[in-house]
Amino acid sequence: MPLTPRLAAIAIVLALGVAACGGTGAAGTFAPRTPDTLTVATAQVPDPGFWSGTATHPTGGFEYELARALAAHFGLARTKVVVVPFAQLVGGDLGGADLALSDITVTSERSQHVSFSSSYLSAPPAILVRPGTQVPDVHAAQALRWAVQGGTTLQRALEETIEPSSPPLVLHHQREALGALRSGRVNAVMIDLPVALAYAREAPHAYAVAAQLPSEAVLAAALPKGSGNVEAVDSALRALNADGTIERLAEEWLHTDVSEGSDEQVPALRIES
Amino acid sequence: MIASEVHGVLAAIVDISSPKGAPWEFLVIFATLLLGPVVIERARIPGIIGLLLGGYVIGPHGLDLIGSGNTTIPDLGQLGLLYLMFVAGVELDLNLLRRHRRAAIVFGLLTFALPMLFGTLVGVGLGWQAQAAILLGSLLASHTLIAYPTVRDAGLASDPAVATVVGSTVLTDTLTLIVLAAVAGSVGSGRSSLDVAVQVVVGLGVLAAFSLILLPLAAAWAFRLFGAERSVRYVVAITSFLAAATVAELFGIEGIVGAFFAGLALNRLVPNEGQLMDRIGFFGGAVFIPVFLVSVGLILNPAVIAQGETLKLAGLFIAACMGGKILAAWLSARVLGFSRAQGELLFSLSAAQAAATLAATIVGFDLGLFGSSVVNAVLLLIFVSVLASTIVARRASSRLGSAEHGERPIGARIVVGVGDPSLAAGALSVAVRIARADGGVVDPVLVVANTAPFAPKAAHQRLLGAAALAGVDGIVSTVLDGSVVRGAMHAGLASEATLVLVVEPPEWDAAEREEARLIGDDHQSGFPPFAIVRGTATRLGTVRTLPYAGSGDSQVLADELARRVARRTAEELAGERSDWAGRLAPSDVTFVSARTGDSTDALMPELPGIVVTTLAPAQQLE
Repeated sequence: MPLTPRLAAIAIVLALGVAACGGTGAAGTFAPRTPDTLTVATAQVPDPGFWSGTATHPTGGFEYELARALAAHFGLARTKVVVVPFAQLVGGDLGGADLALSDITVTSERSQHVSFSSSYLSAPPAILVRPGTQVPDVHAAQALRWAVQGGTTLQRALEETIEPSSPPLVLHHQREALGALRSGRVNAVMIDLPVALAYAREAPHAYAVAAQLPSEAVLAAALPKGSGNVEAVDSALRALNADGTIERLAEEWLHTDVSEGSDEQVPALRIES
Repeated sequence: MIASEVHGVLAAIVDISSPKGAPWEFLVIFATLLLGPVVIERARIPGIIGLLLGGYVIGPHGLDLIGSGNTTIPDLGQLGLLYLMFVAGVELDLNLLRRHRRAAIVFGLLTFALPMLFGTLVGVGLGWQAQAAILLGSLLASHTLIAYPTVRDAGLASDPAVATVVGSTVLTDTLTLIVLAAVAGSVGSGRSSLDVAVQVVVGLGVLAAFSLILLPLAAAWAFRLFGAERSVRYVVAITSFLAAATVAELFGIEGIVGAFFAGLALNRLVPNEGQLMDRIGFFGGAVFIPVFLVSVGLILNPAVIAQGETLKLAGLFIAACMGGKILAAWLSARVLGFSRAQGELLFSLSAAQAAATLAATIVGFDLGLFGSSVVNAVLLLIFVSVLASTIVARRASSRLGSAEHGERPIGARIVVGVGDPSLAAGALSVAVRIARADGGVVDPVLVVANTAPFAPKAAHQRLLGAAALAGVDGIVSTVLDGSVVRGAMHAGLASEATLVLVVEPPEWDAAEREEARLIGDDHQSGFPPFAIVRGTATRLGTVRTLPYAGSGDSQVLADELARRVARRTAEELAGERSDWAGRLAPSDVTFVSARTGDSTDALMPELPGIVVTTLAPAQQLE
């Protein structure tokens, strides 16, 4: 390639001309379904730590505040919340929302129905028990009576990692599993660590987090499959992570720093004998 | 298919699970490090591209062997990124920058400013926010010396054009990282421009003070304290750049800026031909930097690359970057009086975008300034620029032909011949100072009589200890020969030394005197310049020169060496001995330029301190 300054000058002028015609933003462009509004779907409100208030009048929570921060990042004035059953969300039906924030763990199966953003929270499976129950190792865990929400990554973690001695109680909703724990029908519930910590903090007389399982599970926003907003949401989440927003929200609403992997205060379950 | 059947059969016999966990992840990554470059280089494409593509293959957009939730590889990649920038700083040839200062500054400013301007204008034209546009400009403005091995192997390392580009790299990388620091400091902070400017200026000031003043002192101290432990020296280097990166981040400056500054700070302490640099290069080249490149490849997404918007961005970046680099090379060649082929060398060496470009891009990505389209477009730019750089470098090198190898500075490789290690401290300290001034390396050689009945391991160990104490980074070896002088000279000849220092033997017998005289007189032998050193002080005091009667031949050598040790022109001892004899302290260094004919009679036994008697003919010097 000879040094051809004339050719170089022409290429630069052309490039500047093409650039001047505009293009997408450097970090992607977010196009909301409703003008000036970020519509966010979630499976249940309230959800301790993550959503507080009601669907029509949410008052706070980690994921609600994250949605508001995303809206602000995109320059949108309003945040609208819609409640959609969890199975429907991970099946790709977001109820007309731009994105879903609902403790959704990223899996390859779910990726066939929705497009995931980059992660915003580590969420290894955790063992929620009544205060006083000790679960030092997998053998102790196997002897417990379990409840878990069906169709979730938690059910698979329970079956593959713990392999309980008696069949677990598989329920449709997380709150049903928690009810079973409170009533004494079961001794333990498999649940995402940040959620478990939030429940234990809200009702320390009823719940305690006994252990966490080794895992790379992460929570992410789910968008309609093939959405053109994924790049913009990805970039926004990285920006909110870089400027400390996500860490601050986790501390404020989940009272713990779980943004950098598993929580140090919760012991890891001993798997090896 | 076969693998799954084997897995099924095995699973029926024993309890077997799918591969997962840390060993599996490391197996995948190391297999990629192994195969990526090997496969791609068969197509004569640089291995860096193979690593990036390998990252894609194993990543979430490829075979998904390393999932998007994986943190191990990105964390290792982060370490690799810091390592990359540290190496970029530590291996720069600051002597070339010094010697070709004017040309390097002219070219450095042009090759930084033009792509910076065009890149920023492209970003502004696309409607990007100011920080993203400026960051784009800065990442196009840096360069990585990917094609340097090509031109070096062609014998063009000392060509003024090559030296100019190598020297300018300090400037372009530093400016790029300063822009990065400013942009990163302003993102999401919500502070005024003045606040950001103050923060960045103060941060860079503290970082510069830490890196360029404190770090070299601390590292030199650590090398002296733990110097004999090779692994510890390496860990000291790693700790240094991590410390500088941490200091940078304390002030909101990206860690890579600190790592680069640490590299510049240790540049003199870690000579390019030394053992420590060899180790840094080995581990960096084998593991850390490739892991970083693979971690970048994880982001590579053909679905995104194939999008029209990404291809458009790549085209704009390539035009702005390559256009700017070509114009800078052309203008510089005209201003500096380089030939057309030399102009092509300027372009080929400054065109490749890799280290600082990737670093700035990934930082922009992590900050949320850039989306995956920009990252993938930059990866395309890197691919094109590396190819263009390699092709043009080969062409320009063949047009320029095999140039003469340039003169190496006197301190490039110094052999210190030692008969008795207990007397070596002064010579080693002097050698280290000379080598450091020229970015060179010191190789101590224990010379034992060729009639010795066994290898003197104890003496070798003592020399190792003395070398470590003096901060020597070269290889300590043992040779058998008839005399210390001859053994040292033969070792110097074999290792292509630029200078040989011989520790004066305690018993300087007549045969050795005659030998030194003959070597000093022998202009045709190819022996490097040499000097005899006496004195055991480890800390060097005032440096002076003492011209001896009729000693014109080695005067230049004495002055040159003294200037390097003193770091300025050394004071000359003039007048009667009684005028200055009382001023000489035990730690002072006196360079005596002796006449080769009667050299061995002129070792000034009555002089205190370290006495270096130069014996080389002047025409052997640069």
